[in-house]
Amino acid sequence: MGTALIQILVFPGLLFLAVAGLAGEFIDRRLYARFQNRMGPPWFQPLADFIKLLSKEELVPDGADRGLFRLMPVFALTAVVTAFFYIPLWGTSALHAFSGDAIVVLYLLTIPTFTYFLGGYTSKSVYALLGSARTLTQLYAYEVPLFLAVLGPCLLAGTWSLSELTLFFQARPWALAANAAGFVIALIALLGKLEKVPFDIPEAETEIVGGAFTEYSGRFLAWFRLSFDIEMITGASLLAAVFLPFGLGLGFAAGFGLYLVKILFLIALIALIRSLVARLRIDQMIGFCWKVLAPVAFLQVIVNLVLKGIFFS
Amino acid sequence: MGAIQRIVQWSRVKSPWVIHFNSGACNGCDIEIVASLTPRYDLERFGVLLKGTPRHADVLLASGPVTRQIEDRLLRIYEQMAEPKFVVAVGTCACTGGVFQGLYNVKGGIDRILPVSAYIPGCPVTPNAIIDGVVKLLASLENPPKKASAG
Ligand code: SF4
Repeated sequence: MGTALIQILVFPGLLFLAVAGLAGEFIDRRLYARFQNRMGPPWFQPLADFIKLLSKEELVPDGADRGLFRLMPVFALTAVVTAFFYIPLWGTSALHAFSGDAIVVLYLLTIPTFTYFLGGYTSKSVYALLGSARTLTQLYAYEVPLFLAVLGPCLLAGTWSLSELTLFFQARPWALAANAAGFVIALIALLGKLEKVPFDIPEAETEIVGGAFTEYSGRFLAWFRLSFDIEMITGASLLAAVFLPFGLGLGFAAGFGLYLVKILFLIALIALIRSLVARLRIDQMIGFCWKVLAPVAFLQVIVNLVLKGIFFS
Repeated sequence: MGAIQRIVQWSRVKSPWVIHFNSGACNGCDIEIVASLTPRYDLERFGVLLKGTPRHADVLLASGPVTRQIEDRLLRIYEQMAEPKFVVAVGTCACTGGVFQGLYNVKGGIDRILPVSAYIPGCPVTPNAIIDGVVKLLASLENPPKKASAG
């Protein structure tokens, strides 16, 4: 019971994830600034933002469902932290693994998007309403390619458990090469999930002020921002576990270092894409996801099935 | 001051999010505010981020004299901001009414309507002056002057 509590609250749970999330946000913002040829924020910036928001007054708009409005940030945070426990990080086995956890992780990562939608929907502001409608529309666009891309390797390995998946690829690293396209698709879909440029259409500060979070302030905004940061870490960990499962049997210290390197690599990729491209319109985004990403993801699944038929049956 | 208050104070100084509101300026000051947020001046060094919604912002950068038309809107935007909040008057017009002083449709400087924490004169203000003003406002939060009139 004691160790479980420490695992949930301290390591690798809430505290570790909060620190990692804030550090990830800093690295993302700093790299983004350096790509634009400027200094960027100091290292404590995300922490200062977080504490400041915690200490600010929180306002609930008139006509909003007070309970729902206040609960949504907590739900978002809980879902992303829970998903983290089922992903193998620096070993071949996750903290808690069972057969089928790949699907559970993907669905847990969907919950935050719904909380953004509900939080925006209940704030009774036109901007927030528009933002939440866009959040959901975008969800239908990137979710299918993401699921297909992550489940393709699972089909190849013949398991629905992330831990068994990493064991499978540990033994046959060459099989990963077949899933390179899936990695790119999953990375692009992750950008949509994290609402980063070019898919920051739901937040689009220049057109719909703050999207679903327009009416959020103080503590609630702080939880939402933290859940975004942790979602970035969880999403990057998922990609690292599914598509980059190298060197997982190295023991704790080396494995942990390698894990950090992988996450850093993914965050740097996200920052690079963010500074290279501009925001798309929502119809362009959906067209791209359904006309390009989804067909390629289907192809990926077929390739995996054929490979499985030839080598592993 | 206890340790927690000191940390909170520190975080407030390090993370001022601004919202920009044109209360009747000739647009000169607004262009300079936007210019000061570009990568060239890199206000993110001080933690300054431009926010679209008053709910997220800590500092209201108001430019221009307050016209009778805009008065209600300015008050409404101010009331939508979460405490603690500060107002910075950007430009000579925002400080005193400037060249628009005495017009039938103009109320005067921002401080006729709202409590102002910092005045940045200039017609139009240069980005350097805006950055200097914001940094001085933050410094005065750290060591409040004796008769501070923070909003
Ligand atoms: S101070 Fe000068 S530039 Fe600024 S709004 Fe007034 S007239 Fe325009």
